[in-house]
Amino acid sequence: MNTNLKISNVTKIYPGCVANDNVSLEFNSGKIYALLGENGAGKSTLVKILSGVVIPDEGKIYLNKNILKLNSPSDAKKNDIGMVFQHFNLFETLSVFENLIIDSDEQRENLKEKIDTIMKKYNFSVDLDVPVLNLSAGQKQKVEIIRCLIRSPKVLIMDEPTSVLTEQETSELFLSLKKFSEEGILIIYITHKLKEVMQLCDEVAVMRRGKLVSVSQINNENIESLANKMVGQDLKKIKKKKENTSSEQLIKITNLNFTSEDPFETNLVDINFSLNRGECLGIAGISGNGQSELFQVLSGEIISNKNSIEFNKNFIGNLNPQERREYLMAFSPEDRLEQAAIPQMAIFENVALNNFKSSNFFNNGLINESKIKEHSKKIISEFNVNTDNIDLKSQFLSGGNLQKLIIGRELITSPDLLICFNPTWGLDVGAINYIHETLIKINEQNKSIILISTDTDELLKLSDKISVIHRGKLSKIMNAEDVTSEKLGILMGGGN
Amino acid sequence: MIVDINFVGLIIASIMASAVPLILASCGELITERSGVLNLGVEGMMIIGAISGFALMTVTGSLIIAVFGAMLAGVLISTIFAFLTQTLITNHVATGLALTIFGIGISAMIGKNFVGIPGKEFPVLFEGLKDTIPLLSPILFGHSIVFYFAFALPFITSYFLKKTKIGLIVRAVGDSPESASNQGINVRFVRYACILYGGAMCGLAGAYLSMIYTPQWIENMTGGRGWIALALVVFSTWNPIKILIGAMIFGGLTIIQFHMQAIGVRIPVQFLTALPYIVTIIVLVVISRDSRKIRLSTPSSLGKSFHKDN
Repeated sequence: MNTNLKISNVTKIYPGCVANDNVSLEFNSGKIYALLGENGAGKSTLVKILSGVVIPDEGKIYLNKNILKLNSPSDAKKNDIGMVFQHFNLFETLSVFENLIIDSDEQRENLKEKIDTIMKKYNFSVDLDVPVLNLSAGQKQKVEIIRCLIRSPKVLIMDEPTSVLTEQETSELFLSLKKFSEEGILIIYITHKLKEVMQLCDEVAVMRRGKLVSVSQINNENIESLANKMVGQDLKKIKKKKENTSSEQLIKITNLNFTSEDPFETNLVDINFSLNRGECLGIAGISGNGQSELFQVLSGEIISNKNSIEFNKNFIGNLNPQERREYLMAFSPEDRLEQAAIPQMAIFENVALNNFKSSNFFNNGLINESKIKEHSKKIISEFNVNTDNIDLKSQFLSGGNLQKLIIGRELITSPDLLICFNPTWGLDVGAINYIHETLIKINEQNKSIILISTDTDELLKLSDKISVIHRGKLSKIMNAEDVTSEKLGILMGGGN
Repeated sequence: MIVDINFVGLIIASIMASAVPLILASCGELITERSGVLNLGVEGMMIIGAISGFALMTVTGSLIIAVFGAMLAGVLISTIFAFLTQTLITNHVATGLALTIFGIGISAMIGKNFVGIPGKEFPVLFEGLKDTIPLLSPILFGHSIVFYFAFALPFITSYFLKKTKIGLIVRAVGDSPESASNQGINVRFVRYACILYGGAMCGLAGAYLSMIYTPQWIENMTGGRGWIALALVVFSTWNPIKILIGAMIFGGLTIIQFHMQAIGVRIPVQFLTALPYIVTIIVLVVISRDSRKIRLSTPSSLGKSFHKDN
């Protein structure tokens, strides 16, 4: 049976922002639809409306010509709309089976049978009796999908499903989605990744600042045309110039090991590499393979053997981050609001946080506010942070602006080495472009970068040398020109 | 030295009797905490239960009305807590502390007229079997219905949490209220219910003290048992069966203290009263070494307010 889902003139206004401005869309089963847009374009609000989490101010939704009242998530479920959220809606400490039975009305045995059938049919394998926190991101997503499939949905909405998946897992997911679509499930796929839209979808709707800007067949589009629609302006193409980099060694890591007592952390085994001035070393890998531990060891959050890190001819393995900054290292951690900045503190206070010693921010233990503010204004204008209020709490900055502020804060002291971890994670195309340009620029100024990232495209674009981390071990260092994303994918999965 | 075997039985029985209010209050609080709500008002709810039970018994003369009235009083006072923390989204810790202070104060005020009034005898079950089996008889027979209920409660609670759908929902809400809400579970309703249930059990624990354990009203008669019950929940790592063990240890400490004084071994009373807390801290240190275990057993959202965004 065909399914027809129609969104008619939906508007949702939040204080200070129109999340959805008079959006109308129509979907039919048998096709895979992409809903494309930058962060904050209103895609998430729209799917939250479809799943009953958010109630629109105006507008109606029709399923097969019948008007739908979606006042709560259970209304959506009752009407056969299934949703897989970007941030998993799972109960980590409950077992997989408990997670599945909790919103099902079926008997234990019946449900078990049903789950078995689904897993066989789509070739999923998940252990039902382990707590969810033991699962990988890809497996967690499968649990979410199984949860939807149990209800035999007419509509399946996937919100940025690949942000936590490996390449391998992504292609598996795409195969499953195509299969679902063939079986008559209407699929709406929300993403800001253009490549995926081209690979998977039949039709694409682009949103920008709460408005629907275009609906088109995928055959009539290409990556550039979609990117321009999404951003609303022509994007500059950035390309790294390949120059002869200097041969002066800046940092050398020798036999670095880290053993953790926490079973959720990864041990680092015999890390060895060196990096010259003006080079960018990219470290690829599936998240959870020791990247966060490697970042912490390099930044001094975890202190190691003194001789294991040689930086600018000094042995600094036993120094803390503050002391390493004195030797002109700078850091941009993965989690912007947890590790890089303090959300409740103002922009200028956050700027002061990494500059204790070598600055004149503090006089005899007192804060020199005007100096810090002056300095903050300089960062904001030099690094394009889109605000003029330096008293604003940093939690109110968008991800892109916050990342620019953090990178700016680190770079304004002109360090010799910047270590960054997923610097563009969750950012929109415009901000990503800006960060990439900035990183290329500092390489051109003969400064070095260690870029730990789970985004293969980013690594291939920016790195001079690439290595892959897998289960806490680093592969051999390769020249970026000799590497393809397929090759990286194999290494990331533990192959040779 | 010949130890009379029945005397040992009696000591064990008295330890069990002193464990009853701890088990009741802890099992109630455990359900509350499993739903993610930290109610530090246990002591206050217990003392309200104690005075309500005793007052109703004196006024109406009915034990049944008194016991259920005490539970209802616990429910009512916990409703205040539920309204504040779930509807008005106040901080759990501050509200719970206020509840305890409020309970102690108001119970003293109501209790003025009941000081010095003798309590009633509470009927016991299986009294005829009291002399049949050596050692076991005094342990098994001749106790009030509340006593038997208390020792069944940890098993019932464990079954409820592990095997029933409602138990699963309670755990789910405690694990992630956001996910639960997105799954269509009414988080606020579940938490209200768990808080009220906890209140009822604390009320019953209080009534046990003032009507059965020491049948009279004395101001502040819970004497910190509410705090021990709270510590016990943590001690048990939110596992009802371990509450039973912990309550026996903590209850035992009080009883042994009396007997030690009788034989003339002098350990400072203050040290023995502090022991439950010291033991709890030791247990906490031991389990925090295993981060996986603590993550699996602690309700992740414990003490955090849940705002439903719209």
